[in-house]
Amino acid sequence: MSAGYVAVQWNPYKRRYDAFVCGAVVLYLGMFGFVGKLLFRGEHALSDEVLALRALGSCAFLMLSVVLCIGPAARLDRRLLPILYNRRHLGVATFLVAALHGALALGYYHGFGRINPLLSLLTTNTSFTSLRAFPFQLPGAAALLILFLMAATSHDFWNRNLSARLWKWLHMLVYPAYGLVVMHVALGALQAQRTWWLAALVCACAATVTTLHLVAGSRERAADRGRTSMIEADATAWLEVGRVDEIPPDRARIACAPGGERIAVFRYDGRISAISNVCAHQGGPLGEGKVVDGCVTCPWHGWQYRPADGQAPPPFTERVATFRVRVDGRRVLVDPNALPPGTPVEPAFVEESCDA
Amino acid sequence: MVVAEAVVILLAVYALLGLLFAVAFVTCGVQRLDPAARPAPWGFRLLILPGSAALWPLLLLRWWGSTKGGASS
Ligand code: HEM
Ligand code: FES
Repeated sequence: MSAGYVAVQWNPYKRRYDAFVCGAVVLYLGMFGFVGKLLFRGEHALSDEVLALRALGSCAFLMLSVVLCIGPAARLDRRLLPILYNRRHLGVATFLVAALHGALALGYYHGFGRINPLLSLLTTNTSFTSLRAFPFQLPGAAALLILFLMAATSHDFWNRNLSARLWKWLHMLVYPAYGLVVMHVALGALQAQRTWWLAALVCACAATVTTLHLVAGSRERAADRGRTSMIEADATAWLEVGRVDEIPPDRARIACAPGGERIAVFRYDGRISAISNVCAHQGGPLGEGKVVDGCVTCPWHGWQYRPADGQAPPPFTERVATFRVRVDGRRVLVDPNALPPGTPVEPAFVEESCDA
Repeated sequence: MVVAEAVVILLAVYALLGLLFAVAFVTCGVQRLDPAARPAPWGFRLLILPGSAALWPLLLLRWWGSTKGGASS
């Protein structure tokens, strides 16, 4: 969290994750080169530069697709949460691979002339009205610029100092970037090479990314509708969250307030507490996390909050909103009006023995 | 061609100014903007250098604002 910055907050899990990503990238590039040399021989042989260009480009495209799939996939299947946890490093790695591809392309196709490679990129082809001869490298360059901005601002320092809105906006640009890359490949390599496997790869990735987003989104909306039922009592409209036994120990159930705000209702140590579902870091879904060492732990990057007051344990200073809770029989009720971030709330006590 | 040349020159000037600014910013600007960066190690400063070079006009305004705020209080 943010009591003083370090370069990278590594832990053993993240190290293994990063080592796996590095290994997978090296293995993919090696295999691509090996198979490419085997398949294209004699007069069809490809130069090392073109082979490397293709290997790096397709690798970056695959990585970007995975980055975009992780979010919705982890919503649909919680077992994938560990992959989501360190997604930021995967994003930075994607930029690095894409940057190598872009730099190689600039050097190889634009670097040998007398004019500046960037100028050559902008001026060599200006057939913007032709689909067949479209300057496909320009959407690639635009996508690379977006990936750079995202990677360069991925440190927590930026999240805190650019304002959450600007940061979020900047990082939502990943969707236009993905569209630009699809355009880059469809108008470039797919037209020039006419290889079936590249077409299949691009279609499969784009279809998976779109479908996962649509399915996860519609599931979430349906769940929000199913979750809400209001009970009027003592001038507060309490929101029924469900039965105590429906909340697994040290986990939460997510309730949806009438305004659409999500509330994470946790059960731990024979108590029930409710805090905002939105992490103060980057808006991660706290209700999908666990209570670890007495603190709600965000599934995205592991920030922690005490369930009874929404405050991060000292020396950290982050806070999230809290909500009043009540248990009526075995029914859990929550007051959907958020209290200011960090407000202590008396937890509701429940008998743990009932469902042990 | 003229437009493209102008774009490339503007980009180069922007990047060069950004780089100069970024060096100054990561050595003495960050801790003014964000007190949590005061004891920050060099690895952290190096990591935020590319972003500082890219977003330098924004940071320059904030840095300026923080020195003015600091002087009046
Ligand atoms: C400055 C930026 C970029 C330039 C100049 C550039 C240039 C090129 C060139 C010249 C090709 C070869 C086309 C062919 O073989 O007919 C290519 C292919 C490709 N590029 Fe890029 N590109 C850039 C950015 C990107 C980015 C950011 C991505 C993905 C994240 C990407 C993904 C691809 C893919 C998947 C291919 C097809 C590879 C294959 O043929 O197997 N490119 N690019
Ligand atoms: S820890 Fe990063 S979003 Fe919660």
